[in-house]
Amino acid sequence: MRTIYNRFRIGLTPQRVLSVVFLIALGYLVIFPLFLMAKETFIVHPLERFQIPGSSIGDLTLSHWIRSFVSENSFTFFYRPLLNTLQIAFGLSFLALLIGGTLAWLVVRTDIPMKNIITNAAIIPYIMPSWTLALAWIALFKNERIGGDQGIFTALTGVSTPDWFAYGLFPITITLALHYFPFGFMLIGGALRNIDAQLEESAELLGASRMATLRRIVIPLVLPAIFSTFLLTFSRGLGTFGTPAFLGGPVREFVLSTSLYANLIGGRPGIGYLAALAMIVLGVLVLYMDHKIIGTRRSYVTISGKGARAGLVALGRWRWPIASLLMGSILAVIVVPLGALAIDTFMLRPGLYSWENFTWHYWIGEASLSVGLGTGEPGILRNPELMSALGNTMKLAVVVALITGILGVLVGYAIVRMRGSWVSQALDQLSFLPYLMPSIALGAIFLAMFAVPRWPFPSLHGTFTLLVIACVVSYLPYAVKAGVSAIRQIGPELEEAAIMTGASWWTRMHRVIIPIQKSTYFSGLLLPFISVTRELSLLILLVTPTAQLATTITLRYTDRGWYPYTNGMVLLLVVIVVTCTIMSRRLMGTNIAKGLGG
Amino acid sequence: MSIKKIIRKWVTTAMAVGLVSVSNSILAEDWAKIEANAKKEGALLVYSTTSRTAKAAKVFSAKHGIAVEVIRLKEQDLIQRAYQEAASGVQKVDMIVAEDWVAARELLANTGYFVNYVPPTARELFPKRHQNPLVLGYINRVFGYNTDKHSSGNPFKSVWDLTTDEFKGRVMIRDVAITGEHQNALTEWVRRSDELADAYQRRFGKPLVMTEANAGLEFIKRFLQNDPIIMTSDTKISKAVGAAGQENPPYGMFYVYSKHRDKALKDLRITDNRQVDPTLGYYYPIVLQLAAKAPHPNAAKMFMEYLGTIEGFAPWADSPGVYTPNPNQVPFEGDKPFSWWEKKMWYYDLDFAAANRGIVLDTWLKYAQR
Repeated sequence: MRTIYNRFRIGLTPQRVLSVVFLIALGYLVIFPLFLMAKETFIVHPLERFQIPGSSIGDLTLSHWIRSFVSENSFTFFYRPLLNTLQIAFGLSFLALLIGGTLAWLVVRTDIPMKNIITNAAIIPYIMPSWTLALAWIALFKNERIGGDQGIFTALTGVSTPDWFAYGLFPITITLALHYFPFGFMLIGGALRNIDAQLEESAELLGASRMATLRRIVIPLVLPAIFSTFLLTFSRGLGTFGTPAFLGGPVREFVLSTSLYANLIGGRPGIGYLAALAMIVLGVLVLYMDHKIIGTRRSYVTISGKGARAGLVALGRWRWPIASLLMGSILAVIVVPLGALAIDTFMLRPGLYSWENFTWHYWIGEASLSVGLGTGEPGILRNPELMSALGNTMKLAVVVALITGILGVLVGYAIVRMRGSWVSQALDQLSFLPYLMPSIALGAIFLAMFAVPRWPFPSLHGTFTLLVIACVVSYLPYAVKAGVSAIRQIGPELEEAAIMTGASWWTRMHRVIIPIQKSTYFSGLLLPFISVTRELSLLILLVTPTAQLATTITLRYTDRGWYPYTNGMVLLLVVIVVTCTIMSRRLMGTNIAKGLGG
Repeated sequence: MSIKKIIRKWVTTAMAVGLVSVSNSILAEDWAKIEANAKKEGALLVYSTTSRTAKAAKVFSAKHGIAVEVIRLKEQDLIQRAYQEAASGVQKVDMIVAEDWVAARELLANTGYFVNYVPPTARELFPKRHQNPLVLGYINRVFGYNTDKHSSGNPFKSVWDLTTDEFKGRVMIRDVAITGEHQNALTEWVRRSDELADAYQRRFGKPLVMTEANAGLEFIKRFLQNDPIIMTSDTKISKAVGAAGQENPPYGMFYVYSKHRDKALKDLRITDNRQVDPTLGYYYPIVLQLAAKAPHPNAAKMFMEYLGTIEGFAPWADSPGVYTPNPNQVPFEGDKPFSWWEKKMWYYDLDFAAANRGIVLDTWLKYAQR
């Protein structure tokens, strides 16, 4: 008896304890809510009673399923939004790959000038909130369909844009691709950098043409990165909310995320959660396909320099034209939208572009019911509501980054040190699961889970804690990835040496493990930080008016038509995030790409 | 008249007078007690769909020394949240300022989670039909158009005009899927199908040929097939319709009339259409309800009393399109009194609306997706 106990006690290593704790916690926060959500789709909710004759609240019912999947209207209720979603997700992934891949190839494999600037600038679109481009698209290209002031393009050229160009699937796909192409750029760029140059040189010696080398050697080697990019952009495309809401609404083109939102806002969670489940199933399907085709899960390539570099392709006299074209397009994607938003914050009367109309009112003006839009709101910088929302965002970003960062290291530690056991695998898979869940669906899950008291938590509805939990779970995959790859690079012998000298686990962690891979950890922190500051899809369902965030209050102001405030807030966010990114790069040597791809 | 009868009459009158004065004195006493207790209770929590409640609360707090926290929620969100909190036994809210009484009655009042309370001023002055539920005010929603383009007058005379080619892709409406009041209002179009069909006959001189079950649903179908623009807020609608310098401005359907208060400020060229057959839009009440387990019931009662007075209603009285049942309130300059609107607009039947809004919503969703 005593020996069993002793064995148990000795076996109680930090990694084992950690693994078990994390397995339980993740099970509770990821798996359990999934079941809960599934359960909700069989229940009559308060307002749904009106749609299901003769039912009463809380009854079990199949009608949500019937209605969504096999009723005479299920095409309009479910399949049509599903098809739209798929069309957007495929289109956006393809475009993001094309743009990101080309850019990566140019930067890594050619002698194009200004590489550093291009590399840095190409990441900025990803830092901006994804719907910034949607707002900018509307400001630029809106036509008379949605009335009000003219779009800038029409004002300049007198040409009215057609509906399909101004709203709907086309601009949704384009603007999202322009937001997500940095994924492709970073991941494929990393893969390209890691290709052993000798392979290409051998091909060249054997007389292969440049095209043949590209087709037979480079692309197959980069394929895992391509699929990773695809997986990433596709699952983001499934769950994104802001852009389809802004651009799809005017022409009544709905996707799963917008129909989920409308159903939840309209008090029909049974139907809404079905859309969320569908999104999650799609995400898992994509991962499964990825797994089948590539064989290894998450075969992201380490982005680190390799000794032997392939000779760069000489672009010859095309060097500068191509470089200028690239810089021009990247700047256009950054400067034009931000510029369009900025101008609007200085125009006292929206849509009237003249010097007489210039004002600082929306930035520093006093509250007024008679100046400009007469919102009764003080200018952004002295507006307590907006500033407190911005403060909440920053607080949330810091708290989430710290927690995910620490969890990332610990989970990563447990996974690496328990390698080969089922626990390690289970932990690995579980921590990766939120990655597949479209953000808005994940938000819906946490709403279902914590709107009511649930042991050991009281009702967390509308609390800051709930936002933290949602964000931590959502960004955990990134942090764990960073943690795993960092720990993996630290040989166990370092830790063993520390154990020999009698260092406790805590000492080992903060004297050995963490200092060695500092920059990787901080990169792991940076991504959650940035993501939180511009998160909308995940939090839109969880935020209540008492504790607004910068992004959600922006959406609310948009609803009231207070665009100068909305645009100003977006600008502030972008400035803050870009500054933080640059600063942390200078101070800590962080690199977003590291946080993303490992 | 015999002496007996006269005496009897006298006695009954005297008794009645006595009763009234007794009940009045009980009330007066009660009210003094309520006020005294309210001061002891402390901060009040209110959920409200309108932001102006917070303005009223500020003045109320300053006057009575009772702090009021007002949380603004969207109509459906408010009802669901109040319901969920009450159902799970964590009710912290004291009172609600709610819309969509059809849903609120079903989920909050019939369940006993919230109760009606009629404070002294309302009891004395408000007509009986506005007392249960206690109405803070009525809101009307109208049809509107751009006055620059249509300087000579109404561009349409019947709701059925909005289903014709001329209005294809030009009519804006707040999404019915997220607007409970629109759902309620459209059930009235179902209930009064015959009148709606008659309006069709008047407009086109031929009977309405339907594929849907009734003229109300037929309208929803035809309206959506005519490519309307579904918006997320009434503010955006009024701005889009009224913005200056448009060649082909859109038209607004069912947006709140009170948005016209911004006309001068935002330079909106907008007016509402007052010759639409068979209804100029619809109106609906903003209701006040007291939480059955309110932690601060007396403070809530005092605030409800305050909102029924002219002073308490002041934040709403500065624009057209909001009407208190308090007869002492002077209508907003240029606006008609509620009694006028009431005759020109459809309301809805609560029971019929509860039974039929699911059908209305489904019909809407069925044709809303392109």
